[in-house]
Amino acid sequence: MFGGSKIKLDSELLKKVKKYSDIAGYSSVEEFITHAIEKELAALEDSDSEEEIKKKLQGLGYIS
Amino acid sequence: MLRKVTVIFTVLIVLSLQFVPGCKKGETTSVDKKVLIIGFDGMDPVILQKLIDEGKMPTFKKLAEEGTFKPLQTSMPPQSPVAWSNFITGMNPGGHGIFDFIHRDPQTLMPYLSTSKAEEPKKKISIGNWVIPLSAGKVELLRHGKSFWEILEDKGIPCTVYMIPANFPPVECEARTLSGMGTPDILGTYGTYSYYSNVRPEMKNDELSGGRFYEVNVADGRVDASLVGPKNTFKKDAPDASVNFSVLIDPQNSVGKIVLPDKEIFLKEGEWSEWTRVEFKLIPYLQNVSGICRFYLKETHPDFKLYVTPINLNPEDPALPISTPSGFSKEIYENIGYFYTQGMPEDTKALTAGIFTDGDFLTQATMAFQGELDGYRYMLSQFDKGLLFFYFSSTDQQSHMFWRNHDSSSPAFKEEGFDKYGDVIEKLYQRMDIVLGEAIKKVDDKTSIYVMSDHGFAPFNWSFNLNTWLLDNGYISLIDPSKQEEGELFANVDWQRTKAYGLGLNGLYINISGREPEGIVSQGEEREKLVNELVEKLENIVDPKTGKKVIRKAYKREDIYSGKYVEQAPDIIVGFDRGYRISWESSLGKFPKELVADNKDPWSGDHCMAYDVVPGILLTNRKIKTENPALYDMAPTILAEFGVDKESDMVGSSIF
Repeated sequence: MFGGSKIKLDSELLKKVKKYSDIAGYSSVEEFITHAIEKELAALEDSDSEEEIKKKLQGLGYIS
Repeated sequence: MLRKVTVIFTVLIVLSLQFVPGCKKGETTSVDKKVLIIGFDGMDPVILQKLIDEGKMPTFKKLAEEGTFKPLQTSMPPQSPVAWSNFITGMNPGGHGIFDFIHRDPQTLMPYLSTSKAEEPKKKISIGNWVIPLSAGKVELLRHGKSFWEILEDKGIPCTVYMIPANFPPVECEARTLSGMGTPDILGTYGTYSYYSNVRPEMKNDELSGGRFYEVNVADGRVDASLVGPKNTFKKDAPDASVNFSVLIDPQNSVGKIVLPDKEIFLKEGEWSEWTRVEFKLIPYLQNVSGICRFYLKETHPDFKLYVTPINLNPEDPALPISTPSGFSKEIYENIGYFYTQGMPEDTKALTAGIFTDGDFLTQATMAFQGELDGYRYMLSQFDKGLLFFYFSSTDQQSHMFWRNHDSSSPAFKEEGFDKYGDVIEKLYQRMDIVLGEAIKKVDDKTSIYVMSDHGFAPFNWSFNLNTWLLDNGYISLIDPSKQEEGELFANVDWQRTKAYGLGLNGLYINISGREPEGIVSQGEEREKLVNELVEKLENIVDPKTGKKVIRKAYKREDIYSGKYVEQAPDIIVGFDRGYRISWESSLGKFPKELVADNKDPWSGDHCMAYDVVPGILLTNRKIKTENPALYDMAPTILAEFGVDKESDMVGSSIF
């Protein structure tokens, strides 16, 4: 249960998540998954927005 | 077994070469040998031959008669980063991994400039409003393969390579190199100019492509504004760093005074300033970023119009690596003054947007050329051994913009343009004849001279909406078809019902399961069948208006590429026929309704077509034996000049 929503995990993956959340010292599987997702989102948010990408490329002349 | 024997044999040859004088690091058999290569981006063999025949390029003519002049087979696609990478590495795109100006991240389908990637520091710490990086960020060159100058330097042959494209950041080596096309401005873009006025220019979606518009007030003859620099990543939320300035306008005369924090510049209307250094303070007293720019006071009365060039990296102290050794850019500055460090410095975007007139653009492009010429003369004065490569961008950029003035077939052709600017390209070629003449006077008879271009030129009369064609033919599905013309970067695409998409200037990708995030086409038989089907259909597209074939040939990547990176290439490389090119909109994932449109843009000449439509040029003072020399033959040829064997992954061969 994540904020009222449920997500399905493959049973093999869930087994691994349980195993490694214990090893890594997380207090629960939910905490481990939340942390992993937050880390992934932070990486995406750090990257350029679509607008910035377009701005970078426009100076090339070949595109508008 | 055969392979093992070959490997052992090769190892023995390599080992034995270590004991041959000239093949040991630091020594060379060809101490007296000199090689000079002048690269004129986009110089076209048909235009050149015509001018030679008319007696307008006597130096080129003499070189052709004493040596050889041949068309030089370009890369597929014939785009500068791809073509120069062929030249640099002796490989085709499958080997060096540069397939287009624009690649996409297969995971996110986000486009990026193919030749380099910037990464922010991975670890940062926040203290109050400040964000302090704990590790260095980095810029990475994405071109693979060893450059010919690295190989020569390993053999002790000194090399200077000036403004070569597809080498930013410059590969670490002992040669003196300055990066060219692909080198960004201080904003990290490929050129963003600033335009300040009290009158809003005509803009698409309230923005200028390749530039930024700042609306200013003129009050009591004074304008206050800012030069906007890089994002201050040392501050939370990374605000833009900026430098304030004012312009004081004389009420009677057409002159203005630009007041910067540490200097004042007087300009008449229509006048350009010299290069001006500006400092963006990121952390007071600790961290500055230095840039250079030029001001063009276009109008003082009745309206105020001020253009500022993209803020270039300062060669005295560049914020990003632009040369090897790192002090080489400073040495150039100390000898010729400031110069454009940004790759492709001609501001084509300002002309397209109407901020520049043809005359303004010609002035700015001539200034860019003058900077290259100053560098060229300095490098020639230093050239006493080894190899010198020098690059000129003007022939490419001015051909893009002035083609419509000399070719009445262009939809953008106008009589008045022909009268005033119809001879710009011809005159530019003639200037290059003088440029070549200067080099020939300087070098001795032991010097091999090469004059070359990466591709030629052709009219860009019609733009083809590849993604619209894929949509019309059922290869792409939209989430909301009623919004076909809205959004870009494939925002409205239903990937689970899309089989193929076009991205970049010649690339077509299959939506492969396991490669693209929502791929639906399996690798293997299904992909191959789809590729074959698309190739056949693409090659049969006819422009309904002209009855001409739009695509001369669609190439399967497996048929034209070899090397380690073939799998990263577009699945099909679209070779447009003469006169056609990908549309402005389609290259970044938009879907205009019209399949083929007249190109009325000032950017009216191009070369992103089939490779055999736009060959480059090759002249040398030696007799070439190869029937059809190609760009990838150049690196092995240059190595052979110094008695050095080519690398095993080079696909080209010496032309002698």
